[in-house]
Amino acid sequence: MNSLLRYGGAFLILIVLQLLIFNNIEFSGYVNPFVYVMFILILPVSIPSWIMLLLSFLTGSVIDLFSGTMGVHAFATVMAGFMRPWVLSLNVTAEASEPDMSPSSYRSGLRWFLIYTVLVVLVHHLALFLVELFSLRGFGHTLLRVLLSTAATTFFIVLFDFIRPRR
Amino acid sequence: MRSLLNFLLRYRTLILFLILEAVALVMISSSHNYHQTVLYGAARNISGFFSRGLEKSTSYFRLRQVNEELVSENLMLRRRLEGLASGAQDTFGEIRDTISGINYSFLNARVINNSVNKQKNFITLDRGSKHGVTNGMGVASSTGVVGVVVGVSRNYSVVMSLLNTDFRLSASIERNDYFGSLAWDGINYRHARLSEIPHHVAVTEGDTIVTSGYSAIFPAGIMVGALTGGQKRGGDFVSLEVLLSVDFKKLTNVYLIGNLTREERNNLEEEVAR
Repeated sequence: MNSLLRYGGAFLILIVLQLLIFNNIEFSGYVNPFVYVMFILILPVSIPSWIMLLLSFLTGSVIDLFSGTMGVHAFATVMAGFMRPWVLSLNVTAEASEPDMSPSSYRSGLRWFLIYTVLVVLVHHLALFLVELFSLRGFGHTLLRVLLSTAATTFFIVLFDFIRPRR
Repeated sequence: MRSLLNFLLRYRTLILFLILEAVALVMISSSHNYHQTVLYGAARNISGFFSRGLEKSTSYFRLRQVNEELVSENLMLRRRLEGLASGAQDTFGEIRDTISGINYSFLNARVINNSVNKQKNFITLDRGSKHGVTNGMGVASSTGVVGVVVGVSRNYSVVMSLLNTDFRLSASIERNDYFGSLAWDGINYRHARLSEIPHHVAVTEGDTIVTSGYSAIFPAGIMVGALTGGQKRGGDFVSLEVLLSVDFKKLTNVYLIGNLTREERNNLEEEVAR
C-alpha cells in the first residue's frame, strides 16, 4: 500500500511537471526535456516485465492525451520500458541487485545511475523523434535533437533524483 | 496445444511488447481525425483550462512587444483608411454600401498553448464554438498567416499551425503573382518552402510572399514571408525558401478569419467540377 502511494505520487508529480512546465520549455527548437520518463526509471527492479510494459503504455498515453500527439509517446515509452530490464542487467552492481529497490544514485552511485538513465532515455528519445517524424528524412538533424534532448532530460532526472525522498 | 501455451508463456513479455507497440502505431496512423474523438475533446477542455492559467501569468512579460505590434498595425490600418476616405468618391451619389462587398469577418483571439518543436505543431486559442468558431477558419496574426482551425470545443479551438508538416497553403509572389504551394519542411521554425514555381520565373531575394486567395480560407494578400534566396531545383519547378513573417515563438494575439460566402463558393465549385 505504502509503495503504491509512493509510486502513484511520483507518477502524478512527474506527469504534472511534464505537462505544465517541461512541455513549455524548448531551446531553439532542438531541445525539449521529457522528464516523465523518470517514472519508468524509478520503478522497482523486481517489477514483473508485463506490468512494466502496461505502466509504460499508460504513462505515454496520458502524456499523448494531453499534448495531442496520439500514440507517439506511448510508443516511445513502451520501447523504453521494454529495454529497461536489459539495461539493468547490462550494468548490474552488487547493490543494484537488491530486488525490491528503486534504482537511484543514492543506492547505487551517481556513475551507475547516470549510465542507466542515459541509456533508457536515449532509447526513448530515439523512438520518440523517429516515430514523430515517421521517416528517415533529415536523419542527422533528428539525431542532433535526440542527443541534445537526451542530455537535457538526463540532467533534470538526475537533479530530481537528488531531491526525491529517500527510504 | 501444450507447446503453443509454453511458447506463449515463454515469450509473453515480447508478445505484450509487440501488441502494445502495434496499438500505439495504429493510434498514430489514425491521428489525423483524432480531434473528432470525444475523449480528446474532454482532455482538450482540461488542458485548455490549465494552459489558460499559465498563459495569463506569463503574458505580462510580452506586453511591450505586443504593444509595438499593435501600434504598427494601427498605423497601417489608419493609412488604409485614409486611402479609402480620399478614393471613395468615384461612385455616383452618396450611396455607401458597407455590407455586400464584405467577404470575410474577423475575430480576435489569444494563443493559450503553442509549440514549435514538433513535426506536427498545433496552437490552442481561447475561442470556441460559443464564439462562433468553426472548423476550417483561417488564423492570422498582425504579422502574417498562422494556421487553420482543425478542432473546436465549446470554449477552445485547436489550430493546425503553419509549422505542421501536414499544412499546405496556396501562396503567391506578390510582385508577379506566380503562385505555388507553401509547406513547412519540419526543420527550422523560421523557414518554409514555396514549391511548384516554374523555373523561368525571375525571383530576387526579399520578394514578398502573400496568400493567393485561391482557397476559401484566407483572403488574398495576407503576408506570409519573404524569399531568402535559397532554392532547390526539381524538374520544371523550383522550390524557394521563405523566411516566415510570423515568429511563432512570440505568438500572443491572433485573428480568426471567417469567410462569409465560403459555402456558396464551395458549392458552386463542387457543382461545376462534378
